[in-house]
Amino acid sequence: MAYLSLQNLSKRFGPTLAVRDFNLEVERGEFVSFLGPSGCGKTTTLRMIAGFELPTSGRIILDGSDITTLPPNRRHIGMVFQSYALFPNLTVADNIAFGLKVAKRPPEEIRKTVSEMLDLIRLTGFENRYPYQLSGGQQQRVALARALAIRPRVLLLDEPLSALDAKIRVELRAEIRRIQQTLGITAIYVTHDQEEALSLSDRVVVMYEGRIEQVGTPFEVYNYPKTRFVASFIGQLNLIPVIVEDPQQGKVRFDNNVLQVEPLPHLSRGQAVTLALRPEEMNLGEVEGRNHVRGRVLDVMFLGAIVRVRVDLQGREVLADLFNERQLALPRPGDQVIINFPPHACWIINEA
Amino acid sequence: MDRNAHAPLRQRLLSWFILFLGGLYFFVPLIATIDFSLRARKGVLSALAYQRVLSDPRFASAFTFSLEMALLTVVVGVILVVPTAYWIRLRLPQLRPVVEFITLMPFVVPAIVLVFGLIRVFSRPPFLLTNSFTGTQILLVAGYVVLVLPYLYRAVDTGLQAIDIRTLTEAAQSLGAGWWVIITQIIFPNLRSAILSGAFLTITIVMGELTMASFLVGLKAFGPYMSQVGQNRAYEGAALAVISFALTWAFTMLFQFVGRRALGGDQAFGAR
Repeated sequence: MAYLSLQNLSKRFGPTLAVRDFNLEVERGEFVSFLGPSGCGKTTTLRMIAGFELPTSGRIILDGSDITTLPPNRRHIGMVFQSYALFPNLTVADNIAFGLKVAKRPPEEIRKTVSEMLDLIRLTGFENRYPYQLSGGQQQRVALARALAIRPRVLLLDEPLSALDAKIRVELRAEIRRIQQTLGITAIYVTHDQEEALSLSDRVVVMYEGRIEQVGTPFEVYNYPKTRFVASFIGQLNLIPVIVEDPQQGKVRFDNNVLQVEPLPHLSRGQAVTLALRPEEMNLGEVEGRNHVRGRVLDVMFLGAIVRVRVDLQGREVLADLFNERQLALPRPGDQVIINFPPHACWIINEA
Repeated sequence: MDRNAHAPLRQRLLSWFILFLGGLYFFVPLIATIDFSLRARKGVLSALAYQRVLSDPRFASAFTFSLEMALLTVVVGVILVVPTAYWIRLRLPQLRPVVEFITLMPFVVPAIVLVFGLIRVFSRPPFLLTNSFTGTQILLVAGYVVLVLPYLYRAVDTGLQAIDIRTLTEAAQSLGAGWWVIITQIIFPNLRSAILSGAFLTITIVMGELTMASFLVGLKAFGPYMSQVGQNRAYEGAALAVISFALTWAFTMLFQFVGRRALGGDQAFGAR
């Protein structure tokens, strides 16, 4: 049995079902993210694991014992909050020591753990500062150390980076992953930021309207989205309406173009479906063995590492992401271009 | 600030004039009282009235008695109000309007009604308290707690509003803390300045309170004593008013000082 097991969890707030029939197994030492738009139930699920909300139905099993109704202060589960939630009246060292003092650990052990934790979050020398004397990023590192000091069985992180600047966010993201791996701690991370979820996690749980849409590695959920929601929520997606021409050969028609995709044995000739593909699979120019469609450049967005070109593809807007190179000749709005993409890059989303 | 700097001269003069009027309203009676209190000896200014007041042993005993009652009121009130206000904000926010209304009752029900009610209920079994001095002191403190509720509750509630008690509570819970630890180690310390300002108001009100004290303990309390002196001996009454005014101010200063020290200096009021 998995280390942490969430079985048929549901949570109802009045008339709304915030979480419905949530099932997940988390292994020891795993880093799992709950990803979804606001209101998808990810935070509610996390709060049920922490014990701040009681599930309407379902069970939570941690390390073989049922903790569904155990009060939060007896679960031994650490939590990091979006708003840091450091105790304003306590110094950095006292904040980190709080859980150990509550557990009545010997002073010598507390002192040692606090100094280890400060070392881990690279804030040695800050022990006597108060929270208001720290930057947001530093406060969140202290909050992380405070949660880790009690050696929690699971570490929960509720959008811990949302209140921080972009640069600090990326730095701290790497820090969180490093610390989690150093300690081998089981972590559950709630975020609405797909980049965070993809870069940090062993597995991503994509949620929408209280339900799990897909569970998988970042690679899987990005490249093989199982539902239309996952496909559109994670990354950018180009959708092209096509008519199936030859299911066995994998030929579809878009306007006057016949496009080659993978064989579509489950579809029938003449069926209207939607072709999906990622902007980074689309390129400009003609390349042997690829599909080609003519289009007109609408605008060009320079994003640094990539250049995002918005193209009108015979009445259909698509995005093409090009890798930046110093020699790249940027297309201009109004230019006529040929878009190419490989047959295996596309997948079919059935029209409802 | 900017607006003031650019305001026309006439408008600024008007502001100062209004401030001046306000000052007059506040200071003229005070100066008059001080002046009057110094005229106990005909024709010269002297501290005679003050000497008489301070040499009266009843002054010291009434003052200490009321101060004790005030401190007890603060302790009981804080123990009652802080956990209540905390719990209502945390778990029963829908009850907030009700509780706020209840705490405002002392503004609606006069102290005289309250004290009669107390005496009626507690002057016969099963709650007989009026037959002993300790009993009446308990009643007095209980009455004072009700009387200061509007001030104490509001101060504490405002203090609670300033901190994110829900998240702090959850953070403490996730670290293993139970309710006792959360209230004593997180809520109380972070409400220190709010509690101090509520306590200060409580002390000022109790020190001058007349109605309840007259009915329950009579001249043993400072309010009735002051009133009696004021009725019988004009100069001493004025001197007493000045002394009590000065003591009140001294208390304000003391609390501000203690409060600021407890919060770790002026900076604590700065960012965040």
